[in-house]
Amino acid sequence: MASAAASLSTICTSLATHCSISHHNPKTPFLHSTSFPFSRTHSLSLSFQPTLSPRLPLPPKSSDTAEALSDPQSATQLVQSPPLQPPSWEPGLFAVVMVGGRQYIVHPGRWITIQRLKGAKANDKIALHRVLLVGTDTSCYIGRPVVTNAVVYATVEEQGLDDKVIVFKYKKKKKYRRTIGHRQPNTRIRINSIMGYQNYPKVTMDDIKDEEDKDS
Amino acid sequence: MTRIKRGYIAGKRRRKIRLFTSSFRGAHSRLTRTITQQKIKALVSANRDRDRKKRGFRSLWIHRINAIIGKNKKKQYNRYSNLLYNIYKGQLLLNRKIVAQMGILKGNCLRMIANEIIT
Repeated sequence: MASAAASLSTICTSLATHCSISHHNPKTPFLHSTSFPFSRTHSLSLSFQPTLSPRLPLPPKSSDTAEALSDPQSATQLVQSPPLQPPSWEPGLFAVVMVGGRQYIVHPGRWITIQRLKGAKANDKIALHRVLLVGTDTSCYIGRPVVTNAVVYATVEEQGLDDKVIVFKYKKKKKYRRTIGHRQPNTRIRINSIMGYQNYPKVTMDDIKDEEDKDS
Repeated sequence: MTRIKRGYIAGKRRRKIRLFTSSFRGAHSRLTRTITQQKIKALVSANRDRDRKKRGFRSLWIHRINAIIGKNKKKQYNRYSNLLYNIYKGQLLLNRKIVAQMGILKGNCLRMIANEIIT
């Protein structure tokens, strides 16, 4: 949407005010055993119907192929890795966070791709402060405009580039054509946790039910 | 002047274009001159539609929000315009994409928001 320069400036401002980076100690490796890269973000660079096409993870298959060769009956059983421990936060917890000028629905334990954060290296811890909404199965903390003291903690996984886009400028009958290749830099972050929203006034489903009973 | 054959120089260039156009229908992936034209048209369309995509998605989100809000309540305020007006008045920063996605994936949350901010 914005040109590269404009997006960089918004990143710089957003970086200054809304994110804070602390450098992670590289001695402790970041385990991905419960990796579940299900992204619910609706990025404009995705295909046509992003709401219907989640990026599904490939289950780890190094152990499975050995198993399958030895025992043909277990061919139907795909995943041999230890059962995923459900994280110990509230079920259905999500937040709407604003990063890089865009808003994302964010779940703990999953990754999203955002605009490139300048100066962030792999395994840096990041705190995102612009939390617009926090929600669970039954209740919802609506930020006006921000849920105060709510923070989303994330870790930078990778600083990469988007797929190449060919920018082709062409004027017909005027012998003007220019071909430019462009790869937008991005950062992939994994969301660790959503904190700090407990003291904010919340709305629950019970309020709606009371109102509906009153009306009808 | 010595005689110079042109060899495969032009062919190399056209092979790359042909690769780009390899999945097009009919003569548009077979005949050299139409291939060059179709590649140009394809890239120009891609350029133009990258901007159109943004408009298209915004329109999609607005229609979806309208549909979901219209279903929810039997009251007077069951329209997209009312919801957006109240979002701005209540100083929420949520954009249409998020509201539309929440309406599909987390319907309860959208109902709570709508109930809270629509007076």
